[in-house]
Amino acid sequence: MKKNKGKPGSTAEKEFVFEFRAGKHNCVLKVPLKFPVQENISDLHGRLMLLHKIPCYIENELKTSLSNFIENETILDFDREAELALQRLTTGDVDVNQLTNAWTRSYVETTLEHARPEEPSWDEDFADVYHELIHSPASDTLLNLEHNYFVSISELISERDMEIKKLQERQAAEMDKVMHELGNTLSDQDVNTVASQHFDAQQVLENKWASELKQVTGIQKQEYQEWVIKLHQDLQKSNNSSKINEEIKVQPNQLSELADSGARMFEEQPQLEESFTIHLGAQLKTMHNLRLVRADVLDFCKHRRHGSSGAKLRRLQTALSLYSSSLCGLVLLVDNRVNSYSGIKRDFATVAKECTDFHFPCLEEQLEEVQQVVLYARAQRSSKQKDQPEIPRNGGDDKSKNVERNPSNILPGEFYISRHSNLSEVHVVFHLCVDDNVRSGNITARDPAIMGLRNILKVCCTHDITTVTVPLLLVHDMSEEMTIPWCLKRAELVFKCVKGFMMEMASWDGGISRTVQFLVPKSISEEMFYQLSNMLPQIFRVSSTLTLTSKH
Amino acid sequence: MLICRYHHILFIHCNEGSLSRSQCFVSGRMRPLRDAQLGAFTFFASALPHDVCGSNGLPLTPNSIKILGRFQILKTITHPRLCQYVDISRGKHERLIVVAEHFESSLRDFQKQGKTASPEKVLQIAFEVLEGLEFMNKHGMVHRALSAHNVLMDCKGNVKLAKFGLYHMTDHGADVDFPIGYPSYLAPEVIAQGSFHPSDPSHDEAPLPSGPKTDVWSLGVLLFELCAGRRLLQNIDISERLKFILTLGCMDDIVTVLAEEHGCLDTIKELPENVLELLRKCLTFLPSKRPTPAELLRDPVFSEVSCLYTPFQKPVSLFSSSLRCAHLELPEDISDLCKDDDEDYLSERAIDEVYHLWCLAGGDLEKELTIKEIIQSKPPICTLPNFVLEDGESFGQGRDRSFLLDDTTVTLSLCQLRNRLKDVAGEAYYPLLEDEQSSLPQSNSSNELSATVTLPLIIRERDTEYQLIRIILFDRLLKAYPYKKNLVWKEARVDIPPLVRGLAWAALLGIEGDIQAKYETIDKDTPIPTDRQIEVDIPRCHQYDELLSSPQGHIKFRRVLKAWVVSHPDLVYWQGLDSLCAPFLYLNFNNEALAYACMSAFIPKYLYNFFLKDNSHVIQEYLTVFSQMISFHDPELSNHLNEIGFIPDLYAIPWFLTMFTHVFPLHKIFHLWDTLLLGNSSFPFCIGVAILQQLRDRLLANGFNECILLFSDLPEIDIERCVRESINLFCWTPKSATYRQHAQPPKVAGDNGFGKTTTYYSSDYQDMPKTDLSREPLALCDLKAEVSPRISAEDLIDLCELSLTGPTKRTKAGKPKIVAVDIRSQEDFSRGHISGSINIPFSAAFSPDGELVQCPATGILQNYRGRVIVVISHAMKSAAMFAAHMVKVNFPRVCILDGGINKLKPTGILTVPSPQI
Repeated sequence: MKKNKGKPGSTAEKEFVFEFRAGKHNCVLKVPLKFPVQENISDLHGRLMLLHKIPCYIENELKTSLSNFIENETILDFDREAELALQRLTTGDVDVNQLTNAWTRSYVETTLEHARPEEPSWDEDFADVYHELIHSPASDTLLNLEHNYFVSISELISERDMEIKKLQERQAAEMDKVMHELGNTLSDQDVNTVASQHFDAQQVLENKWASELKQVTGIQKQEYQEWVIKLHQDLQKSNNSSKINEEIKVQPNQLSELADSGARMFEEQPQLEESFTIHLGAQLKTMHNLRLVRADVLDFCKHRRHGSSGAKLRRLQTALSLYSSSLCGLVLLVDNRVNSYSGIKRDFATVAKECTDFHFPCLEEQLEEVQQVVLYARAQRSSKQKDQPEIPRNGGDDKSKNVERNPSNILPGEFYISRHSNLSEVHVVFHLCVDDNVRSGNITARDPAIMGLRNILKVCCTHDITTVTVPLLLVHDMSEEMTIPWCLKRAELVFKCVKGFMMEMASWDGGISRTVQFLVPKSISEEMFYQLSNMLPQIFRVSSTLTLTSKH
Repeated sequence: MLICRYHHILFIHCNEGSLSRSQCFVSGRMRPLRDAQLGAFTFFASALPHDVCGSNGLPLTPNSIKILGRFQILKTITHPRLCQYVDISRGKHERLIVVAEHFESSLRDFQKQGKTASPEKVLQIAFEVLEGLEFMNKHGMVHRALSAHNVLMDCKGNVKLAKFGLYHMTDHGADVDFPIGYPSYLAPEVIAQGSFHPSDPSHDEAPLPSGPKTDVWSLGVLLFELCAGRRLLQNIDISERLKFILTLGCMDDIVTVLAEEHGCLDTIKELPENVLELLRKCLTFLPSKRPTPAELLRDPVFSEVSCLYTPFQKPVSLFSSSLRCAHLELPEDISDLCKDDDEDYLSERAIDEVYHLWCLAGGDLEKELTIKEIIQSKPPICTLPNFVLEDGESFGQGRDRSFLLDDTTVTLSLCQLRNRLKDVAGEAYYPLLEDEQSSLPQSNSSNELSATVTLPLIIRERDTEYQLIRIILFDRLLKAYPYKKNLVWKEARVDIPPLVRGLAWAALLGIEGDIQAKYETIDKDTPIPTDRQIEVDIPRCHQYDELLSSPQGHIKFRRVLKAWVVSHPDLVYWQGLDSLCAPFLYLNFNNEALAYACMSAFIPKYLYNFFLKDNSHVIQEYLTVFSQMISFHDPELSNHLNEIGFIPDLYAIPWFLTMFTHVFPLHKIFHLWDTLLLGNSSFPFCIGVAILQQLRDRLLANGFNECILLFSDLPEIDIERCVRESINLFCWTPKSATYRQHAQPPKVAGDNGFGKTTTYYSSDYQDMPKTDLSREPLALCDLKAEVSPRISAEDLIDLCELSLTGPTKRTKAGKPKIVAVDIRSQEDFSRGHISGSINIPFSAAFSPDGELVQCPATGILQNYRGRVIVVISHAMKSAAMFAAHMVKVNFPRVCILDGGINKLKPTGILTVPSPQI
């Protein structure tokens, strides 16, 4: 009898001996059995009967004796293993304290009964209150109030822009003058001094405005939250809520009329858009909606002022679903640094600051937190890699060098997530890191950017993000090298990969209907757009248009 | 057979006295609800590590699905001391909700009162708990989570063990994050073997599974608490508690030490000797010295108690060799049974039935649990991670408190259901089956019900009252199976309630006998060459379904498939057999033997010889008949498909080889097969044509490549419409038109069991007695050459109602309208023809280029458009050509008389018209 060192799955072979009489013969049946017995005893019995041609009159006898044998031996095995474990404690092979601490930990961390009592979380309470209010008749009031705050911020911003512009004009004039005198009364050094003075003056002004904006947003946020809580309490106190509602409504309505007089900042852009309904799956099919949109990525974030009714509805829709289980996400392609200093990152930050976020920390704070988490993740990773050095990963060396250089930078395919309540159509923004590789024509389905898309869709599954907007060409702006064949090739790749991921998603979440919006840059031609919209149904096998006609 | 008959006679007796409430007829179904409640509790399966693939390269199965698969067997564990498990459902994010029998009172109530239990009560509880444990152990299960609140009491004060399946369904706790069991009740060896915690890197391996003796220790602690009237080690923290339990190993007398520790030595000392002895035996430190539940149950300490209990006997299942009514005892006065008038009839229904109806009446598990605040979910936006690496690992996500285990069981209120069913009369619960005319109960609501019958199936399946009535009816019919086979057929034509579909199908397929014993004798373990193919196919077969994608589902798949392959040595495994197995396995997940038996009965009926090693002749003939069916029913489509070369060989083989199970999801297969099983082996042709017709417009509009693409991923098919249309097509098809020489040979007459009346549509053409007028086999190449099907002279006579005995034969409703077209020359026609036939000589009808000539005769033909047109001629060749021309010009329902006019000559039904002046 062999035995391993008490590992699960340790097997031991034991022999089952059964004696019976057949006529004048004494027969002995010996069966080696592997313990723990995995197979069905009835099957084993049936097989023995068949294999050894055992007479049927001892069928039942064999069955009882076989099952008794297995039962007894299994109990013996259990006993032996159990006592081995107890022995390890007495001999000191296993530390009692460590053992009981592990037990305590698993109870404390996983069961409500033993878990530490929850510290009340203000955020979540506010979430509940807000969710309730926005689904009540008070929603209109809330939106109006939010809008008023938005108006005052944008007034501030335009004031700031004006002042900065003035300063710049003045400085430009001054600089002109200086340049004029250059070589006459003033030297290069003087010019430099003036320039640096200008720069400093600009910095001071910008800082001043930044801090003022920050202060105003802080005040707004606090006021707003207090007001929401109070409104909720009031509503709860009095049952005839309608009366109170009327009172609240009057004031903001006046304000909103005021706001209406404000110029419309953003004219509706002529968007190109086409929608499709698809069914995915081999036998069981899930319906999804796809949309191909030609627009600027920030159009999904920018607020339009009240006035156009569509904007307000959109705003309400976003507010209603903020704490629900149908969120909207947007994929933003960024470089490898977590900040908002340049390019699309800065543009996005500008849009995000146009309106106070009454629910979540402002973008800067969120990014700071991300930076901390990135550092933590790197530390975790490297300690893990030290533990398991034998796993070679293709290109892993290359990457780790990169990381060693600056651990706070992120790699292509990785992404960080920010949450917003103040964008027009989006709650969640995935900042997906891509490198210059995406501009080249030859990326494959194994490209980090594509894998990043897959992970984004996975997060969408686990966190109920039912609408997600993806830049189809994996770029936000077009450039020279992006020819028509390049676009077609890229679009085909992304369509196909997303289709594959969506089919995979069905196994992650059990087939929930989703909306995926494919975004193409504004600068592509109409003709190109229609070429892409012709490609989509071929890859996704759109069926709806034809089924409609087939009904008589 | 004699015995069988006898016990069905007995059953009739029972019916008349409305006696069949008696328990002995419960056949493999769950117990009645009675005074129990339905309870639900929820927990989370552990999440899988991100992005890991299994050894076969496929994604790993989520733990919740593993648990769901392992849970199923628990539904069959039925014992009076165990709470019946009813259902499990998967929610979002790996949540599982388990529904089981539930009682509000438990031993916790005892503890709360702070009183000690009397020694008799302690012994009773101990004995009953052990009964439950022994039964579980027999099924290879261990409780591990025994505690005061998991020992429930029914209203008679009997023990019901709850949550006994948790340890089994979670694979000994490996699939969940939380430890199974409660700290005070853990046996020392369980503590010593350690806890497994996923976030703890020092323990890579799950602890060993626990044996049955661990429950005995827990029981000991529980009994001690009852005797002492207080809870054990309540006030110290967990790690101290566990350490204390471990130190008990050094003590001589654990019971005394525990009593001293809790300051109740006096109370314990006063206990009777047998109770003390029981406590000592349970609280034996070393497992090897501790008895198992089975041993303890037979221990002398229970000598006073054990005589009060009769051992539990498993009710006899529907398919077994023993007598179902053998132990039926009628009381002296039958009216005793009918006394209680205001009885709660609903609670006499089986637990799973009540739960099924509860769901139909709008029950929502998640909602119930959310109301009781067991499910508390945070808004998803608050739980998003901050940062995700390229391989999918996410960071910055706080541990969500709502994922913690709260295993409180919530009682599901039946108010809504009772309210919904308050108008259902008492008689509806006990319909009399003798009345063959109407099986629906004659009550106030019967009008309403007969109105419901006309509604679409999807609506009927969601109608609470309707389903109640149907389930009761089928339940009773199936209990009387095979005696009431005819009624099962009759009712199945209306519809089959989803809850009883598995058994109803078995009845339709005529399963009888001790299938379990037969299945067990088949060797499913020895490796065979087919294993590899089966292994490859199973993880690709209907994997969207939770049951079939679970590891348990795979194991069962493998066993049933292997059993079939091994037991049919003349046939082989063809890819597609797995799909064919899927619906049977799904419906009989806990009864592999029945799944196997159904599959073995289904294949010869509908797919005779399809699984031969060389099946080409069978399939070729089948496909040829199918393409004749297309041109028979839809000549325009047929012409188009033939023109672009889109022949059935390219798309229809998986349809027929798997009887459509490869192309449709399970819920559609069920509705399709509900009808398929009622029809004969030619019904699948009609389904095939109906599918084509649903896609007709797209097929007609497209060329070869588009058609291939279209069928490679079959679009959504409206299955109810498909069923309706295929029935209609079937009614228009003369039986002999689908004759196949490779079809199943006629069965030996006389084995028709309990006189199943075969109807025109359910019987096979092959089963009819063969006469001179029947169809004769045709070589494949000849068959292929003909566009239109042939029908037999017999059919022609039957359909034209030409009979030598005169037109007395009862006209069957739904018979296709038919017209015979005689294409011989006028002279031949005038020498003798079938009465009612019209004469259109070949040459008069078609021009040489195949166009229909405008003449009076073809005008008549146009008038008969839509009827079944039988072309009669001397030579088959000219008839076939005539038919082909007619199909070409889009005449539907054209067929040819097999054997031509010569076949009819000996019958003497040809008439010579009196010369007209």
